[in-house]
Amino acid sequence: MTDWNAMSDADFRKEVRAFFEAEYPEELRHLPHRPKFAEIEHWHRKLHAKGWVAPAWPAEFGGMGLNAAKLLIFYEEQQRWGVNRGRDMGVQMVGPLIIKFGTQEQKDYWLPRILSCEDIWCQGYSEPGAGSDLANLRTRAEIDGDDFVINGQKIWTTMAHDATHIFMLVRTDPDAPKKQQGISFLLAPMDQPGIEVRTITTLSGETEFCEVFFDNARTPRENLVGELNKGWTMAKALLSFERIFIGSPSLAQNALGQLESFARGRGAFDDPVFRDRFAQAALDVEDHAALYARFADQLKRGETLGADVSMLKIWVTECFQRITELMIEAAGPDGGSIGPLQVGNVSVDVLSSFYKARPTTIYGGSNEIQRNILSKAVLGLPG
Amino acid sequence: MVRELAEAGVFGVAVPEDQGGLGMGLAAGGVIAEEVGRVFAPEPVVSTIGLSLGLLRRLCPDHPKMAQLIGGEISLAVAWQERGPDGAPADATCRYADGKLTGGKAWVVGAIGSHGFLVVAEQDDGPVLVLAEADAQGLVIDKRTQADGSSLGELSFSGTPAAELASSGAVLTALAEAVADATALAAAELVGVSERAFEITLDYIKTREQFDKPIGSFQVIQHRAVDLNVMCEVAQAGVREALAQMDSETDPKVRARLASRAKARAVTAAKKITRDAIQLHGAVGYTDEFDIGLYLNRALVLSAWLGDDAYHRRLWFEAREQEGAAQ
Ligand SMILES: Cc1cc2nc3c(=O)[nH]c(=O)nc-3n(C[C@H](O)[C@H](O)[C@H](O)COP(=O)(O)OP(=O)(O)OC[C@H]3O[C@@H](n4cnc5c(N)ncnc54)[C@H](O)[C@@H]3O)c2cc1C
Repeated sequence: MTDWNAMSDADFRKEVRAFFEAEYPEELRHLPHRPKFAEIEHWHRKLHAKGWVAPAWPAEFGGMGLNAAKLLIFYEEQQRWGVNRGRDMGVQMVGPLIIKFGTQEQKDYWLPRILSCEDIWCQGYSEPGAGSDLANLRTRAEIDGDDFVINGQKIWTTMAHDATHIFMLVRTDPDAPKKQQGISFLLAPMDQPGIEVRTITTLSGETEFCEVFFDNARTPRENLVGELNKGWTMAKALLSFERIFIGSPSLAQNALGQLESFARGRGAFDDPVFRDRFAQAALDVEDHAALYARFADQLKRGETLGADVSMLKIWVTECFQRITELMIEAAGPDGGSIGPLQVGNVSVDVLSSFYKARPTTIYGGSNEIQRNILSKAVLGLPG
Repeated sequence: MVRELAEAGVFGVAVPEDQGGLGMGLAAGGVIAEEVGRVFAPEPVVSTIGLSLGLLRRLCPDHPKMAQLIGGEISLAVAWQERGPDGAPADATCRYADGKLTGGKAWVVGAIGSHGFLVVAEQDDGPVLVLAEADAQGLVIDKRTQADGSSLGELSFSGTPAAELASSGAVLTALAEAVADATALAAAELVGVSERAFEITLDYIKTREQFDKPIGSFQVIQHRAVDLNVMCEVAQAGVREALAQMDSETDPKVRARLASRAKARAVTAAKKITRDAIQLHGAVGYTDEFDIGLYLNRALVLSAWLGDDAYHRRLWFEAREQEGAAQ
């Protein structure tokens, strides 16, 4: 077993890059939509054979065991080459939770199935009445013999229509004094009569997320992860690394590259106003990357990141949006047209980039919620 | 104050050690400049480190004035820009012949109180750098007071005696490099201005009460404060990175691009932060009794000096295009 962490950063980067460049299918680079599993299964098999499905998991559970610094490099290379993250909710969210809070039986049973994608997971947190205020969730799970019986509704569940299992936050004690208490973390199989999935079409015309209805759905009691009524604190504990990941510069950098080749092909740089706005966007990306590097260095020194890391997400998502808006501007009369536009030898789907940028300020904690957090936790403002 | 700064080695920070400086580069100079911005030091620290020493160390490192500048015994203002008939910057016409200067120079930082002037002029066979003493004959200094109370000098020379320090194309090359250094350091000073202005504002919104609460408990105010904070952090990270890269870069064009990146970011941030700071203070922010106004005014002056954000974005873009075409 390779000890990746013992390698120099440069060597590790080289190895990761070489693998992606040699093995990742060209036609899957920079996919504009979230793929169904079948579309990327071939790639997943390669990754699995290499042992690279779960870069963050400890080696004993089949992961690469990367430390934060190496992990960052891995993701940077993944994004640089436009490697699709695949159906990684199992790897990113359920796995770490089971590793941290699960029983030995749960680890032995679920973890290998996550790695092989025998089980494909979706995340059932949000509900119609519980978005930013997630603790307001109402979906009930009640113990009935050896099972939990689940009733309620989840929504915005990404790729639920192509998942075999759902991990969810459910209310197990409706009488708890605070709504953050009385929430549990539960796993459930999707293929059962009590669960109905309806796809929701997004603005860009994709079917990416779903509504999931629970009508006396059942899951065995041993599918409770961690203690009963302790789901909230467990779910929160997961978010720390995600906060730098979600603020990484790559989405905006890739979009900027697209904007530049498109605008050049279209002659948009002849316009001094456009030039200035492009320069503004490009400098926004460059200076964001400098700030990102500062946080990444903190991780590399082994420090834990503070709440201030959220500023990366705010800046980069809003910057990403401005860049895609400039793409539309550069497209002129084509700015409302669906599908790829060919300019010289580049093909750019202007609207798809624009749509892709919209939800980045909504999910992962909306940018308003991030501002609330920064104002209290970092600036120490009252209320 | 000048003496104290000099004893701390501040002025020699970016001068190589074998020329009597600390040899710590622009990155260290930037840290000093940030501090100067925070404490609102009126001394021409950045123009001395960037322009005066930037020119001398590149053109005549053995000149005795070098040591005096580093030691804070004298200050020398650099006179390089000229004002055209329409008031805007124009090509140089200031002449140097037979040991004498004729013509004028504009926007000279630190002109008042300076011991002399490093003047970039034209002579028959090209550009020349000369030194004119402050009390030289035929030198008239017109003072223009700036928003922050500092002043810019408009110089006119009529047969003013001056000593030649260097000539030929090297003068313009060195000037461009020194201007890039000073531009980057001015950006760092603006970061300090922004940081301090933000801190003062944050304190204020935590203590000022209206509707029986601190105004900092209102979400609109909180989100604006967060945006200013993020702007400030991005500016600090971007400017520091640009200065560090300038230290390891030798191509003058790339260094100039990095300086433009720094100044563009720092001006954008400082303008937004100091102006929003006034708004968040309410009426007291509009009085001259509160410190916050000083930072607004300092930001105005530093933004105008050596080019604002729109100007530097243009230079940055042009430099990037040239580098791209060259590859
Ligand atoms: C593409 C996409 C994929 C998603 N995938 C999943 C998934 O797989 N699983 C899952 O569980 N969820 C998923 N979500 C849901 C996501 O987590 C929620 O959208 C998010 O938590 C926001 O909730 P909401 O949409 O109900 O908006 P709301 O919370 O109703 O917010 C609406 C607006 O009000 C603002 N707002 C709310 N509260 C405050 C406040 N206190 N102060 C200031 N402003 C406030 C918000 O910022 C937002 O602008 C996904 C969302 C998107 C867009």
